[in-house]
Amino acid sequence: MSVYDLLEKWKVKKYRVITLEDLEDITVGSTLLATGGGGDPDIGFLWAQKIIEDKHEIVLLDPEDIPDHELITSVGCLGAPVVLTEKPPGGNEIYKSLEAISTYLGKDVNAIIPAEAGGVNMTIPMAVAGALGIPVIDADGMGRAFPELQMTSFYIGGVSPSPVAASNEKEEVCIVDSEEGEVSERIIRSAAMAYGGISWISSYPMSGLEMKKTAIHRTVTHAQEIGKIVRENQQINTEPVKDFASFTGGEIVFKGKVTDLNRDFGSEVTKGFSSGLITLEGIDSYKNSEAKVMFQNEWLHLEINGKTLSLPPDLIILMDPETGLALRTDIIKYGYRAYIVLIPADPKMKTDRGIEICGPQAFGINKQYQTLDQLKE
Amino acid sequence: MKKEVRIGFDVGGTFTDGVIVKGKDILSKTKTLTTEDVTSGIINALDDLLTASKVDPLEVGMVSFGTTHTTNAIIERKNLNKVGIFRIGAPATTAIPPLTGWPNDLKEAIGGNENVFIINGGSEYDGRDIVPLDTEAVQNACKELEGKVDSVAITGVFSPMIPDHENRVAEIVKEVLGDDIHITLSQNISTISLLERENSTILNASVISVMQRSINALKDATKKRGIEASLYVVQNDGSVMSSDYAVDYPIFTVASGPAASVRGAVYLSGITDGVVVDVGGTSTDVGYIVDGFPRESAITVTIGGVKTNIRCPDLLSIALGGGTIIKNSGDKVVGIGPESTGYNLVHLGKSFGGPILTVHDVAVARGGLNKNLDIFTNNFVTHPEKIKELSNDLVMNATKNITEMLEVTIDQMKTTPEDIPALIVGGGATTMPKENVSGTTEVINPDHFEVCGAIGATIAEIGAQAEAVADLEVEDREQAINEVIEMAKNNLEIAGGVKDTAEVIDIEEIPFAYMPGKRQKIRVRVKGKVFN
Repeated sequence: MSVYDLLEKWKVKKYRVITLEDLEDITVGSTLLATGGGGDPDIGFLWAQKIIEDKHEIVLLDPEDIPDHELITSVGCLGAPVVLTEKPPGGNEIYKSLEAISTYLGKDVNAIIPAEAGGVNMTIPMAVAGALGIPVIDADGMGRAFPELQMTSFYIGGVSPSPVAASNEKEEVCIVDSEEGEVSERIIRSAAMAYGGISWISSYPMSGLEMKKTAIHRTVTHAQEIGKIVRENQQINTEPVKDFASFTGGEIVFKGKVTDLNRDFGSEVTKGFSSGLITLEGIDSYKNSEAKVMFQNEWLHLEINGKTLSLPPDLIILMDPETGLALRTDIIKYGYRAYIVLIPADPKMKTDRGIEICGPQAFGINKQYQTLDQLKE
Repeated sequence: MKKEVRIGFDVGGTFTDGVIVKGKDILSKTKTLTTEDVTSGIINALDDLLTASKVDPLEVGMVSFGTTHTTNAIIERKNLNKVGIFRIGAPATTAIPPLTGWPNDLKEAIGGNENVFIINGGSEYDGRDIVPLDTEAVQNACKELEGKVDSVAITGVFSPMIPDHENRVAEIVKEVLGDDIHITLSQNISTISLLERENSTILNASVISVMQRSINALKDATKKRGIEASLYVVQNDGSVMSSDYAVDYPIFTVASGPAASVRGAVYLSGITDGVVVDVGGTSTDVGYIVDGFPRESAITVTIGGVKTNIRCPDLLSIALGGGTIIKNSGDKVVGIGPESTGYNLVHLGKSFGGPILTVHDVAVARGGLNKNLDIFTNNFVTHPEKIKELSNDLVMNATKNITEMLEVTIDQMKTTPEDIPALIVGGGATTMPKENVSGTTEVINPDHFEVCGAIGATIAEIGAQAEAVADLEVEDREQAINEVIEMAKNNLEIAGGVKDTAEVIDIEEIPFAYMPGKRQKIRVRVKGKVFN
């Protein structure tokens, strides 16, 4: 059955076939939305590019067009980004984990949703959906990137990630079934370690209806529009930051260059994450100001001249002034120049349960969540 | 006879610069036009130098050059080797096969997809095999490649840490295809990040013959002129490598030009930390010096449309050079560049009786240019009356704008709030303002700045690096670092350096994200001398 058979069956007339240029824009945009994390986006981009070049079609559907009763699942990779860049997928890993979910639930998976609008895990679902001949949904579960399996609007909205299947290139599969998202996260991360640092997962099997209620809608298109803004500014050699901020409803709060970078070491401190603190000294109109950004895979906490200006789950984005590309926590270095843009997180991430699951305290920041506007005052 | 004389060349887009030095003295310098084949331009410069300096060729102990041979070959897709491509990593990695995302013409120029083999094998980060190496598949692939390729590129998953599978494949390739086949192993090219390292490795394998031919031609040329000296090539970090090593690793020369300029500026000024501003006719490259070497860029470098992770200097380029056009309305400056008169400066610029106001003319009016460079045949001003016509205010305003452009660029490259020295070099160096440049402690035009890159090529220092992954939960940190230092020193020796002279430049520790435990990557850079 091809993707078009499914569309006919669902009576969906409106859809979009992703082109190579769309894919480039989506990659650039989702890497910005990844707020410093999300891993090297190239792997997902190149994989999806290969899928398009091999004459598969990546078909993007609006979340509202997915029938309520269909089974949909999120796919992606979980583990160490550095392993991902050194040991890219064979290609069958995710199909194996999807198959395991189907078998476990006794039902076919008929659409794929990205778990995060960040980096590699936004483009991998597109490659997988394209290869399998099922649609990919224009939505995700974060509107940004976060490091842990349970930190999604799906889980916040009451959908458990379980059953989660994790596979590797040898097509070894494990399945975790737990109502507790945090427990699933711990077990799947151990599986990733056992697999050599990275696991290829299918998670959050849910109905179309559950997806519509809990997902953050139209984030693939959103990422693509952002990528387009960056590309068009690059073509005429202007700084993209203003257009970016106005399109995303964000605010430019700083421009500076990295003058200090302090990475944490030791598992008892980092709990396996890439964490630390960078200091930026203001340049241009921000001269004599100082910004400090705390990170744990993603940029999490921003302080300018000693005053806290952003807390998770709101988005802190560091953008290279000239190219408009994202500066990631794993590649940031002394001397890098950046704009800092703050964007409010989607309301679905900021419910009471949302703040519990991915607010400041979930990252060990001993502060009560306050919105960007509250912090500004 | 003491062989104290060194000869250096720097091949640029327009000019090939050459110098001949003895100890600290510069005996002669030259600027000749770069030729299409590059090599004959270098030989022309060599003849100029030998004639002008009257040095006894037997006194020459070192000849070295920074070159664009390999870059040109890749960009023009010319004279490239046909490359047999092995990736060791299946059943992982196959979703994105080698050459994915390459421009089609370049892919074809190196022989295309039919010479690509993905072999079962490779390592996990902790040293386990992904699966055992499929040696039979390697043998079969070699038989298919027989007579079809000139060189072979081998890339194994996690080979920079665990090289065993790559080494074994290289042995088999030699057994089947003979000792003459050129083999590039990715472990020797760059670091973690399979696809970019593989691209770098394949590109390296594709330009081996290009480098070999140019080195052979230069060896012949020097020999014919009675020079019995070792030949060296400048690499991307500004140090040199022996020519034999360069034949195996030509890709390390792609950014040698700007790197040599930075090294030359350090040598000429004695300043080891600061910015180097290399001014040309249409643009200016700003690089940063850390401990005497150019700071390295962390961003991936695209060569000929292919993403690589080769280490290159961190440079910021702006459209400001001696020939840059200044637009004015009365005494007010409306814009500076990006247009430039380029090499037509000597016809179009006001100083030469032309109609266009340029950065050069403003420098003449300021009195910043007051002597001819002995390397240029033309005078820097032939129509002084045209310069006298310029109003003081216009000259001051233009100078202020140019200074600001310099200040912003220098500030962007700085990593500390403190003021730093700025070294201005290159053919257009004298056109830049030197007074009141904020952010700098001083602005210096070192002597011989116009042949800075060629001088950089004569500095007999070699750089090398090594890296490994350590698990600090089981390994002692200091011991782990010392092991990597030892590896880097061995690499230095392989590149042509004297091991005893090795000095550690930089130790970098990068923790693995997302993973429990205390695993981190350790990378060490060393430098050492060519002679003892």
